[in-house]
Amino acid sequence: MILDLHSHSIKSDDGRAKVPNYCQWIRAREIPIDGFVLTEHRQFDFESDYSALAKEFGLTILKASEVETEYGHVLVFGVTEALTQTFDFTDIHLPLAQVIEAAERHGAVPVPCHPGRKRVGMSAHLEEYGVPQGVRIVEIYNGGSRGDEDAIAQNMAAEQDYLGIGGSDAHIVSQIGKCATRFPEKITSAAELAEALRGGDFEALNFREQI
Amino acid sequence: MTIATIKDVEFGEELPVFDPDTSLENVKKFATAAHWFGPRFTDHEAARKEGLPGALVPGIMSQGFLAAMIHRWAPQANVQNVDTVFRAPVVVDEKYHITGVVTDIDEASGRVEIDLTVTNDAGETRVFGTAQVQIPTG
Repeated sequence: MILDLHSHSIKSDDGRAKVPNYCQWIRAREIPIDGFVLTEHRQFDFESDYSALAKEFGLTILKASEVETEYGHVLVFGVTEALTQTFDFTDIHLPLAQVIEAAERHGAVPVPCHPGRKRVGMSAHLEEYGVPQGVRIVEIYNGGSRGDEDAIAQNMAAEQDYLGIGGSDAHIVSQIGKCATRFPEKITSAAELAEALRGGDFEALNFREQI
Repeated sequence: MTIATIKDVEFGEELPVFDPDTSLENVKKFATAAHWFGPRFTDHEAARKEGLPGALVPGIMSQGFLAAMIHRWAPQANVQNVDTVFRAPVVVDEKYHITGVVTDIDEASGRVEIDLTVTNDAGETRVFGTAQVQIPTG
């Protein structure tokens, strides 16, 4: 199963895509993914229910979060209501150690995203803060990467022995599915996704040249 | 092919790619017309002294390019809104390509939504956004 693990809808302040249009686009353009994860900025979107849409288009639509730490932005998969009570998702200065500890305690999985990017990526902060404890997975393909950002992420992953995921970081409809992650088994819920990430059996994919 | 009515528009349709004139000469003309006399738009050296990679194409000029692109595709269109997110500077005298694609259509009202992306020669996205456009219904 192939999921785009990083996307934003109009629920994010800089997102411009409506979720039904993502679905329509994936099917119309035959984007080679089976679904996507909405990782809205600095929040978890409890209110939206995309189950009918997912059924209509035969896609898996899951929800996660993108939070902000001193090491840059971090995707959190498997968010539960209890996890959202442990720290303030809107805080743009969260300590990464706190996010990792809370995520692990609540069965969620933290993944630093676009780690090769200046300011908002983890590699930009290693010199100042050192290599953080507890990171196991980073995003090595990001659809919005410029220049050598993905290469920096991949090199860092190789050096630190991190696993890698892929996500489009789509903010507009036509960006969805540019990068994704392949899992061997079907995933139908956020909890299953977190479990699959913990299991470590997945592969980052880059579709930017083909779609 | 140019678009006359909403019936001509298809979901996923790509607008013709538009390569805007981002030359210093053209940007100076825009800055003069807009009464924007800051050197960061018209002088590479002065812009670099401000820590910029070079003189910048003003954001509203980039938005103008986006609207112009839409009108080349649909001359009768009423561009109601161009909403952009600037991810990286658009530098004067560098080459850019603007692409657009239809991502939502309401045939009854004639309203169309278009994804817009400004990329450089390396294929890096500098600006992205959406436009809401009203196309004649008949």
